[in-house]
Amino acid sequence: MTLILIIVKFLTIIFGSIIAGFIGSLTGLGGGTVLVPVLTLFYGIPFIFAAGASLISTIATSAGSASAYTKKKIANIKIGIGLEIATTTGAIVGSLTLVFIDKHALIWVVYVIFGLVLLFSLIPTIKKIGKEVPPEMKPDWSTKLFQLTGSYYDERLRKTIKYHGVRWWLGEIVMFFAGFVSGLLGIGSGALKVLGMDWAMNLPMKVTTTSSNFMIGITAATGSSIYWYEGYINLFIAAATAIGVLIGAFFGAKVLVRISNENIRWIFFAILSFLGFDMVFKGLHLINFLITFSLMIQFFISVIISIVLIGVLFYNSKRKEWGSKNAKS
Amino acid sequence: MRNHDDEVIISYFLRAGVLISVSFIIVGVIILFAKNGGDGFTLSQMSSYNYALAHGIDSRSVSLNKILSGLSAIDGLYFITVGLWVLIFTPITVVFIGWISFLDDKNYLYVGMASIVLFNLFFAMLVVPRFLI
Repeated sequence: MTLILIIVKFLTIIFGSIIAGFIGSLTGLGGGTVLVPVLTLFYGIPFIFAAGASLISTIATSAGSASAYTKKKIANIKIGIGLEIATTTGAIVGSLTLVFIDKHALIWVVYVIFGLVLLFSLIPTIKKIGKEVPPEMKPDWSTKLFQLTGSYYDERLRKTIKYHGVRWWLGEIVMFFAGFVSGLLGIGSGALKVLGMDWAMNLPMKVTTTSSNFMIGITAATGSSIYWYEGYINLFIAAATAIGVLIGAFFGAKVLVRISNENIRWIFFAILSFLGFDMVFKGLHLINFLITFSLMIQFFISVIISIVLIGVLFYNSKRKEWGSKNAKS
Repeated sequence: MRNHDDEVIISYFLRAGVLISVSFIIVGVIILFAKNGGDGFTLSQMSSYNYALAHGIDSRSVSLNKILSGLSAIDGLYFITVGLWVLIFTPITVVFIGWISFLDDKNYLYVGMASIVLFNLFFAMLVVPRFLI
C-alpha cells in the first residue's frame, strides 16, 4: 500500500514537472523558474531539494529543446559561448552564496529574492512589450570585435532575418547576474538571459529565447556540480523532475517555433508575476512578517494581483494599437 | 562558426546525451521501485523529504567512488546517479565542440573565450568541492 502511495507521489512530481517544462521551454525561462515554486509551494519540498532537482532538470530541458533549435539554426552558439564566461562565473558565486545562506538558516531570504527577481525582471519586458523585431541600433565596436552577427529563417514570416548585436559588455554584466541567480535559486534564469540578449544586446526575440535555452544548460551544469557535493540533490525527486521537465520541454519546443513573438512575451509576463508574488509571500510567511495568512489565501491573492496587473498592461498595450488603427481609418 | 555542420553535430550530441541520461534514470527508477529502495535506504525514507533532509539521504550519501560496484549490484540509485552525471556532462561537450570548431576557424578570440568557460566548469566540478567539504 505504501509503495503505491510512493508511486503516486512520484507520478505527481512528474506531472508537475511536465507542466513546468512546457511553460519553461515555451518562454525561454527554462523549467526551473516554474518548477522551484511548484515544488516548494504545492508539493511541500524543502527549498534546497527543489533547487537541486530543478537545476539538474533544467539541463535536460535546455539540452532537449536546444537540440531542436540549433538544428534549425536559430540559436547563435557563438554569442552564447562568449556570454557563458559571465554566466558560469556567476553560477559559481551564486551557488556558494546559497550554501552560505543555507548554513545560516536564512532560507526565507532566498524565497523573497526569488520572487523579487521575477518581479523586477518584468520592468524592462513591459517597456518593450508588443514589439516583434527589436528597434534598429547602429553596430558598435563590440559588434565587430566579438562578431555578433547572424541570420535565421523565420517560419512564420517566411523570410531570412539578418541581425546584429550591440553592447557586448553590457550583455556580459547582465549575464553575470543571470549566472548568479541561477546558482542561488536553482533555476536556469532564462528570464535574465533573455533580458541580457534582448534588452542589452538588442538581439531578436527568437534568437534570444533559443540561445538562452542553449546557454541555460551550461550555466546549470556549473551550479549542479556544486549542488551535488553539497547534498542538494535528492535522487528520488531529481529523477522524477528530470523525466517530467524533459517531456514538457519537448512539447514546448514543438509549439515555440510556430507562435508569434508577441505571444511569447505575454505568457512570459503572466507566469512571472504570479510566481513572483507567491514566492515573496511564502518567504515573508516563513518569518511571519506581514504575511501571516494561510498558503491558500496567499495563492489566491497572488492570482488576483497578477490577473489585474496583466489585464491592465495588456489593455494599455492594445489601446495604443487600436488607437492608431482608428486614426488610420 | 563558419561551418554550419557544427550546429548539426551539437544538436546530435545534445540529443544523445539526453537520451543516454534519461535511459539510465528510467532504468534506475524501475529498479528503485522494484527493490523498494537502494544504497541501504528504503523508498519511504527517500520520499519523506524532511526525513531525507535531516538524515542526509541525498547526493552526498551517494559516493561517486562506488558507482561501478553500485551498477554491478544493480542498485537503482547508482543508475540514477550515472544518468544525472551524464546530464551534467552533456552541455560541457557542446562547449568542447565549440572550442574545436573555433580552433578550426582560427578564431582565436573565441578559442580563448571557450577555454575560460571550460575552466569555470571544471573549477566548479573539481576545485570548489574541496573547499566545501
